[in-house]
Amino acid sequence: MTTRFLASAAALALTAGMAAAGSHIEFKFPVGEGPFNWDSYNDWAASAPDLSGQSVTISGPWLQPEDDYFRDVLDYFMAATNAEVTYVGSDSFEQNIVVDAEAGSAPNIAVFPQPGLAADMAGRGLLNPLPASMGDWVAENYGAGESWVDLGTYPDENGADQLYGFFYNVNVKSLVWYNPENFEDAGYDIPTSMEELRELTEAIVAEGETPWCIGLGSGAATGWPATDWVEDIMLRTQPPDVYDGWTTNEVAFNDPRVIAAIEEFGWFARDDAKVAGGAGTVAATDFRDSPKGLFSSPPQCYMHRQASFVPAFFPDDVEFGLDADFFYFPAYASKDLGSPVLGGGTLMAITDPSDATSALMEFFQLPVAHEIMMAQTGFLTPHKGANPEAYLNDTLRKQGEILVNATTFRFDGSDLMPGGVGAGSFWTGMVDFTGGKDAAAVADEIQASWDALK
Amino acid sequence: MADIADRGAFATAAGQIRRGIFGSKTEAGAAGGKATLTWAVHLSVALLVFLWLFPTVGLFVSSFRTADQIASTGWWKALFPAEQNLTIRAAAPETQIEQDGMFVIEGNLFEDGAEAEISVWGISSRAIGAFEPGQTAELRRGGTITVQADGAYRMENADAFEGSRGQRVFVTATTPPEFTLGNYDTVLGKDVARNLIIYAVAALIFFFVLRFIFRTNESPIAGVIPGAGGLVLFVALALVFGLSSGAVEGAQTTDDMAGAFFSTLTVTIPSTIIPIVIAAFAAYALAWMDFPGRALLIAAVVALLVVPLQLALIPLLKLHLGIGIGKGYLGVWLAHTGFGLPLAIYLLRNYMVGLPRDIIECAKVDGATDFQIFVRIILPLSFPALASFAIFQFLWTWNDLLVAKVFLIDATGETTVMTNAIVELLGTRGGNWEILATAAFVSIAVPLLVFFAMQKYLVRGLLAGSVK
Repeated sequence: MTTRFLASAAALALTAGMAAAGSHIEFKFPVGEGPFNWDSYNDWAASAPDLSGQSVTISGPWLQPEDDYFRDVLDYFMAATNAEVTYVGSDSFEQNIVVDAEAGSAPNIAVFPQPGLAADMAGRGLLNPLPASMGDWVAENYGAGESWVDLGTYPDENGADQLYGFFYNVNVKSLVWYNPENFEDAGYDIPTSMEELRELTEAIVAEGETPWCIGLGSGAATGWPATDWVEDIMLRTQPPDVYDGWTTNEVAFNDPRVIAAIEEFGWFARDDAKVAGGAGTVAATDFRDSPKGLFSSPPQCYMHRQASFVPAFFPDDVEFGLDADFFYFPAYASKDLGSPVLGGGTLMAITDPSDATSALMEFFQLPVAHEIMMAQTGFLTPHKGANPEAYLNDTLRKQGEILVNATTFRFDGSDLMPGGVGAGSFWTGMVDFTGGKDAAAVADEIQASWDALK
Repeated sequence: MADIADRGAFATAAGQIRRGIFGSKTEAGAAGGKATLTWAVHLSVALLVFLWLFPTVGLFVSSFRTADQIASTGWWKALFPAEQNLTIRAAAPETQIEQDGMFVIEGNLFEDGAEAEISVWGISSRAIGAFEPGQTAELRRGGTITVQADGAYRMENADAFEGSRGQRVFVTATTPPEFTLGNYDTVLGKDVARNLIIYAVAALIFFFVLRFIFRTNESPIAGVIPGAGGLVLFVALALVFGLSSGAVEGAQTTDDMAGAFFSTLTVTIPSTIIPIVIAAFAAYALAWMDFPGRALLIAAVVALLVVPLQLALIPLLKLHLGIGIGKGYLGVWLAHTGFGLPLAIYLLRNYMVGLPRDIIECAKVDGATDFQIFVRIILPLSFPALASFAIFQFLWTWNDLLVAKVFLIDATGETTVMTNAIVELLGTRGGNWEILATAAFVSIAVPLLVFFAMQKYLVRGLLAGSVK
């Protein structure tokens, strides 16, 4: 009894405190200033429903400092509707959301770091489909819109396809990071084709230097950076439909075309002269420490292939955009496959529907909801309506352009494969491969694990 | 189950060490043949202590280093001056001044007060040791730069320097050890660690002064005065001058951390007391009261020890939501109680069953009820066992993240615990070793206090039941 009394007293105090705070929310960027689409926000806010007293809860994988940036976005929604929105981040989000959804204490919206788990939960009936209008909107307003709709569409418990996921926060993986001043010191040029990239790699080796930093270490997820390499090479050596077939196992994992891609990754990663520390250290080096070699003195390496989030792991005194830059992981000039882009992203899905939740999902369609994030952190969006001027710096703007202008955009294949493969045998297989195991043997094992899951 | 297994393993290991020391004490005086055994025991104890201390000292040293330092050199090198290859930028072109028709940028590569000595330097990443201190290098974009051994440099050019970033200078220099409280500022709030150290030193001095003043006074109150005085001064300083002088960007504030600290206490203290109270009653019944099925009940409790608590997460949470407890303190207390009870009952029952039968039978003959025997005889005699289990349960609930995440932390974000606050600090992709090392020492502080305050009971309690 006492506990309940204390709890309600505490709740009362909290509500009172929040009501007081709610009346004058401090915006990160004042409405009407800066390179933001305020008009569409003001229009929406004027007709937004009054949701006082209602609350929306969101859970996701973002922690410091991204969580605070995201809360800055939510402020604009709260100001327009008077609803209370809270975001809670977790480092073990994938486990927490399953426990909460199964037990019945799920948040209103869950932010999934990759589609595999969302598809799985949709199939168990733990997610609620988005309105059909949302799918049309994404197809129209996102760059390569149809592919984003497809990536968010999963079969429900009865096997019927429904749209569940709305992509928000996307990253580009086909990037090679380098230190422009080191390139200048050594007189290297940015390669524009895969042939040139291979030539540059060999030229650096011939000069007695080390071209690449590659690190696969990531605790329990060790091996995933190598899967990105293989996926990128697949997109550059095979047409997109082969890639799509590969992610669904219509093209077997031990198909000669896949083995060739793995072996091409081996051309970079399995040669002591081409990798900092030698091929033996690739699997043991943490992916967070690996890019630091670009900035050491003398430089341990000249290039590092990694997704758009990696500047978070550059040393503190490196100024992003000035001391570090990237170029597009180039495609073969000799093969007519366009400029494929590999990417990943987080998607939002409704785990507990309510009026305020639907209103919030509508709010996320506004350019402002994307621009506020773009202006604060390494957030990329395929939203065509978002003003590129809002990006934090030129480097991000260049990445955003790659994304919006992609001729072929493909999602990270390992995230689309079943968890046992894409977050299991593919990872460990790549560790074995860099350790010296034969590519065909590795591919056979991964295919066997996939067969076992069917 | 891992947690229970860990606790068991820890208990056994500690017991062995303890028995080892006891053994050496009794055997030292015995025949000379046993001297080698004594040495073996001493050496293995020393080895175990070293194995435990080595990584702990490493973490402690790392908690005073920046992320870049941790990434570049090992902590064992942090204690001595080391020769390092550094990349330092000269001042940006916008700071140039015009002297006698020349554009000049002057300054020192090292921050104020740093006593580093440059052995060689260079201006290209390809030749980082091309020049001796005092030599002059031609810059690729025109002009010259001269660097002295102490880091002073002078750039000259007939035309103005251009660009937004300063010239890169690669130096090989011997730098003194460098430590920072910055990590503690990130975890606890700005200047909290510094202020705590100052207050603690002041309180300690006050303590010794009081002890000196009262050294001849033999009244019992005089014995308490120095300790109480020091504590009062510490609290008073913290209240008057405050702990924090602001927030560090990108980190939680002191209020957040303090909130998480008290929230953890709110979880931990009831979660320690409730299972002990229940387990003490149950243990007495299982040890000294005759009723049918007693042996089966004991067997069931032992069997429950091996059930992994992860198995119960979803069903238990469903139950909590179903009966209206929801996610909150009450739920997390109940969960911790349930998960802690098998070990508590098992431990206490084994201790109580070893108490002398004569005392209990005498009491029964004198007409004491079971409740009276329990309260007047068993409880006081079982104090070591109760205390040792209290320490276990306290440490385990203090360090817990999983149970708190499932039963306490809901999507409204209004409740948290210290372990969760620390995980949030570690960032979306983790890998912040400096924060991890610092947070480890912040969160270990209270368990250490508890452990040292109650360790003599821990030893007695662990031995309980093992020797009759």
